[in-house]
Amino acid sequence: MDIIKRVIRYRQLFIVLVWREFAVRYRYTIIGVMWAGLQPLSMMLLFTFIFTYIMKLKVSSYPSFIFYFAGLIPWTFFAHSLNASIPSLTNHYQLITKIYFPRELLPLSSITAALLDFFICAVILFVFILIYQIPLTWNALWLFPLIVLLIIFTTSVSLFLAGLNVYYRDVRLASNFLIQLWFFMSPVMYSVDSLDTKMKLMLFLNPLTFIIENMRRVLLEGRGIVLWQMAFVCVVITVFYVVLSRFFIKIERAFADVI
Amino acid sequence: MSSEYAVKLDGVWKKYSTTEFFHRSVREEITGLLSRKKDEILTKDEFWALRDINLEFKKGDVVGLYGANGAGKTTIFKIISSITYPTKGSVTVNGTVAPLIEVGAGFHPDLTGRENIYVNGTIIGMEIREIKERMGNIIAFSELEGFIDMPVKKYSSGMYLRLGFAVAVNSSAGILLFDEILSVSDVAFQQKCIAKIKDLKREDRTIVMVSHNLNLLRETADTIYLIKDGTAVSF
Repeated sequence: MDIIKRVIRYRQLFIVLVWREFAVRYRYTIIGVMWAGLQPLSMMLLFTFIFTYIMKLKVSSYPSFIFYFAGLIPWTFFAHSLNASIPSLTNHYQLITKIYFPRELLPLSSITAALLDFFICAVILFVFILIYQIPLTWNALWLFPLIVLLIIFTTSVSLFLAGLNVYYRDVRLASNFLIQLWFFMSPVMYSVDSLDTKMKLMLFLNPLTFIIENMRRVLLEGRGIVLWQMAFVCVVITVFYVVLSRFFIKIERAFADVI
Repeated sequence: MSSEYAVKLDGVWKKYSTTEFFHRSVREEITGLLSRKKDEILTKDEFWALRDINLEFKKGDVVGLYGANGAGKTTIFKIISSITYPTKGSVTVNGTVAPLIEVGAGFHPDLTGRENIYVNGTIIGMEIREIKERMGNIIAFSELEGFIDMPVKKYSSGMYLRLGFAVAVNSSAGILLFDEILSVSDVAFQQKCIAKIKDLKREDRTIVMVSHNLNLLRETADTIYLIKDGTAVSF
């Protein structure tokens, strides 16, 4: 809650930082914002090529490239947020030692810029859904709470790792490898549906499993959410957020002396 | 809040460490939650950057801080602007602080001068609306009309400074901190800045500046403090 209050108080700076992040990223590029969609789209093509055409896997009743794309969008948001926010504090060493503002604005602006990419990709996904006439049901509305959970979870992990990176630069070095491992532990190129209970339970230790799996389920398959699972994940993610954001606020005061 | 002081430092001590090993510090933060460790004791590799600083700046004061490198001038600035916190003692600030410890904080080389005015302005606490209203004044003060839509990576250091200073003096912050910023600019711009500082003083704003240039401080400041080995004495 503290973090939300501080961001609201410094909202003008926050808006400008998000704008700066977004503007700088696509400045001097030829295709500009199209980069946002390009990476998940090319991954999607790769997965479809390997799994559908080479390994002849059938992952869904609808075209499999949509299956992969729908998993890649939340994943890309998570991975890009971590990648951008972990070095965000140390990169702005100049700013942190020279001026006061709530330090979380830096990782949060990186996450918000990644969120804009997420919505650009979501529009592309909806175009696919329209073209391939995948029927939408009311269950698709579950998408909104799932997006909120995804944002809160991503924010907690990003703040924690970005803060820790100020003290231990190991975090930055370990993050590539960590994100790669995390990718295979998340149901982006597979679905947990067909697995046995033991495996499912193991994969559900990763909150992203629940989020990505259910995003696909409610949007593309028109299925509902298991309510007790939803409630459980909500509690887990809330606890995560409270603990990790407190940790961040606690260590934030010393950033200028340590960085 | 009708007190007339703008900044008050009350018995401020600040401890720094000379070692590069920060590994201990995050652990200290966590264990510090459980046990209040004694701050007064210096361990090996630690030193006092500030010792018992007692200062009170009134609204409309222009204060100069003078002293050798490493005497603690910038640390005082950092404590006033809450970039860092005192180990002991208290700081009270009445009003918003626009620190100019470095000119053009947050300037991004790929953005134009105009775009950077927005970034820098919001960083020192201005609202976007305010910046829009004062854009003309800021550009006019900086005398960079012809270069304002050019990426600042092509600016010279003097141009950087002009732009940064122009934003700071046009902010509505009650307390302005200038760290050695006038030393890079040419004489004409320096005179302009001194005139502007006098204007700001008339608006009852508090200005604290650090300089090695004693003549410059004598010309502008009401009070000058000598900072030596982490202590402050009137000069």
